[in-house]
Amino acid sequence: MRDLLLGLAFMLLGAVVLTVASQYPTMASLQYGPSLFPSLIGGGFLIGGLVLSATQLPTLKRQLSGTEAKVENIFDLRSVLVSLLPIALIIFYIFASEFLGAALCLAIIMFVLMLVRKTSLPLALLVSFVASLTIYFLFSRYLLIPLPEGLLNFWG
Amino acid sequence: MEAFLLGLQLVFNVETMLVIFAAAIFGVFVGAVPGLTATMAVALLVPITFYMDPTPAIAAIVTTSAMAIFAGDIPATYLNIPGTPSSAAYVNDSHLLAHKGRARETLGMNLICSVFGGLFGTLILVFVSPSLAEVALQFSSFEYFWLALLGLSCSIFISIGSRVKAFLSLMIGLLLSTVGLDMMSGAPRFTFGIPDLMGGVNFIPVMIGMFALNELMLFYGSRNEGRELPYLSKDSVFKQAPKHIKAYWPNMIRGSSIGTLIGALPGAGADIAAWISYAVGKGRSKQKQNYGTGHVEGIVDASSANNSGISGAWVPALVFGIPGDSITAIVIGVLYMKGMNPGPTIFMDGTGLIYALFIVFFLANLIMLPIGYAAIKSAKVFILTPRKILMPIILCFCIVGAFSINNSITDVWIMLLIGFIASILARCDFPMAPAILGLVLGTTLENSFMSSMLKSNGDLLSFFSRPISAGLGALVILLWLSPLITMAYKKFKHNSQHKAPRIS
Repeated sequence: MRDLLLGLAFMLLGAVVLTVASQYPTMASLQYGPSLFPSLIGGGFLIGGLVLSATQLPTLKRQLSGTEAKVENIFDLRSVLVSLLPIALIIFYIFASEFLGAALCLAIIMFVLMLVRKTSLPLALLVSFVASLTIYFLFSRYLLIPLPEGLLNFWG
Repeated sequence: MEAFLLGLQLVFNVETMLVIFAAAIFGVFVGAVPGLTATMAVALLVPITFYMDPTPAIAAIVTTSAMAIFAGDIPATYLNIPGTPSSAAYVNDSHLLAHKGRARETLGMNLICSVFGGLFGTLILVFVSPSLAEVALQFSSFEYFWLALLGLSCSIFISIGSRVKAFLSLMIGLLLSTVGLDMMSGAPRFTFGIPDLMGGVNFIPVMIGMFALNELMLFYGSRNEGRELPYLSKDSVFKQAPKHIKAYWPNMIRGSSIGTLIGALPGAGADIAAWISYAVGKGRSKQKQNYGTGHVEGIVDASSANNSGISGAWVPALVFGIPGDSITAIVIGVLYMKGMNPGPTIFMDGTGLIYALFIVFFLANLIMLPIGYAAIKSAKVFILTPRKILMPIILCFCIVGAFSINNSITDVWIMLLIGFIASILARCDFPMAPAILGLVLGTTLENSFMSSMLKSNGDLLSFFSRPISAGLGALVILLWLSPLITMAYKKFKHNSQHKAPRIS
C-alpha cells in the first residue's frame, strides 16, 4: 500500500516537473534547451511511479477481494511523532536562533531530545550545557562561523 | 621525484599527523557506535575540513572512513548489530564466534583483513590510476557523457533491492542537480525566486540530511537502544591470527580483489563489496556448510573486501571524477572545494598533492593496526556509549554544519527537507546511493551532453563517432539490456531442460 501511494506521489511530482519544465525558454540556436533534462527527469518520475504503483495492484486486488489478509496496522503514531521531533527542533532553531542565540537553542534542542529518551535530568542538563557551548565555540570562535548570538551575547 | 618529496612534506608535518590521529579515533568511535555510519561521519566532517588545507582535509576523510569500516565489526561481534552496513554480511559469524568466547580473536582477524584489504586497494589505486589517467586524457565531452551515464546506470543495476526504487532515487538526485542557473541559457530552474538556490543545491547539506538527519529520525522512530553487553571476552587478539592467515590467505587476496573491483563500480560501496565477497567465498569454500555458523573463513572474505572497496572507490573518483560510492561522492565535492579538480590532470599536478593523497592512504591503513588493537581492547567503552546522549549532539552538529558551508539558513532548510524525504524513502526501502550519484553526476551528464551537441550541431549519432565513446555507449546499452538478456537466457535454459528428456 505504501509503495502504491509513493508511486502515485512520484507520478504527481513527475507531472509538476514536466509542467514547470515546459515553461523554460527555448533557444533558436540550440536544439536542446534548459527544459530537456528536467523534462526527461519528469518523464522518469512518471514512468517509475507508474511501474511502482502497477506492481502493487495485484496485492491490492487480492486484499480487496479478501483472498489475502490485510496487512496489520503497523503505523505506530507515537513513533512517527517522535521521529518527527528532530525536524520540529530544527524548525525551532531556524526561527528562534536569531532571537535566543545559537548556543541556547542548541542546548534546548539537546535537552528536549535527551528527555524524550528518558535521560536523567541532571545528566541531560549537564551534557546539553557543555556540548552546546563546545559546539558554539568550536564553530564561532575557531572556525569563525557567524552563528547568531541572540540575547545571550555576553560572551563578547 | 620532486613532486613525491613535496607530497612527503605535505603529509609528514605536525598538523596532518595530528589530524590523521584524531580522525582515526573519530572513525573508531563512529564505526563502533551502532547507527552511526562511515558516510554519516564523513558528511559531518566536511564542514570542519572546509577550513583545513587540502592534505589534512583529505587525510581526515580517508582515515575516518577506513577506521569506521573496521570499527563497525566491534558492535557486530559483541552485540550482533553491525556498526556500519559494511559489517552486515558476516555479523552472524562474528557474533557466534563471540558466543564461543572468541570475540577478540575474531576482531583481531577483522583488523588484519581490514589492514590487508585497505593496503591492497591502495596499491591498486597507486598503480592503476595513473595509467587510467593517461587514457582519460584523450576523453572529450562525448566520453564523459557515457561515463557519467554508465556510473548512474551502475547505481541502479548494482543496488540491492528494487531497481524501480533505485531508479526513482536516482531521479531525485538528478532533479536536485538541475536546480540553479542553466549552463547554456542562464535560465533559473527550480529556484522558486530564492537567491541562494541560483548557484545550485549545495551537496553538503543534502549529504547531512540524507545520511545523518535520516538516521536520527529512524533512531527516534524506534525504541531500541541496544545497549546491553552480554559478555566481554578475554581471549588473545592476535594469537590465532598466524594460523588463520596460513589457512585463508587466498581468501584475503580474493576478497581484496573483489572489494577493489566492486568499490570502483559507481554506486556500489563497501557494503555491497562485503556481501558479494562473502557469497563468492561461500561458493568456492570446501566448508561452505560452516558459513553463517561462526566460521572465520567468511569473515576473512568479507572483511578484506569492505576495506579494499573504500580504496577502490577512489580510482574512478580521482581519474574521471565519477564517485565509486557515497563517501567518494562527498570527497569529489571536497576536492573541488580545495581546488583539486578530479580528473586525469590531477596526476600531472606538480605540487605533490596526489602523492600526499597516496601516502595518506598508506598511513590511514597502517595506523589502523595500533588504534584498532587499542579499540578491540577497550571495546566496552565504545559500544556502551549511549545513543540517547550522542544523537542530540549529532543533531546539533548537523544544524551548525549545514549552516557553516555558506553561512546560510537556506542550507539548513535544504538539510531538513532532504532528511525528511530521505527518512520516508528509507522506511520504504529506497536506496540512497543512487540519489547521491545523481546529484554529483547530474551536472557532468547534462553539461557534457550539451557541450557535445554544440560541437556536433545536435547530431546524436556523434556519440558513437569516436572509438572509446562508441565502446562506452555500447557498454551502457548492454547494461540496460542485461535484464532482458538474462530473462531470455533463463527462458532458453528452462525450455532446453524441458525438451531434453523427450529427445532421450
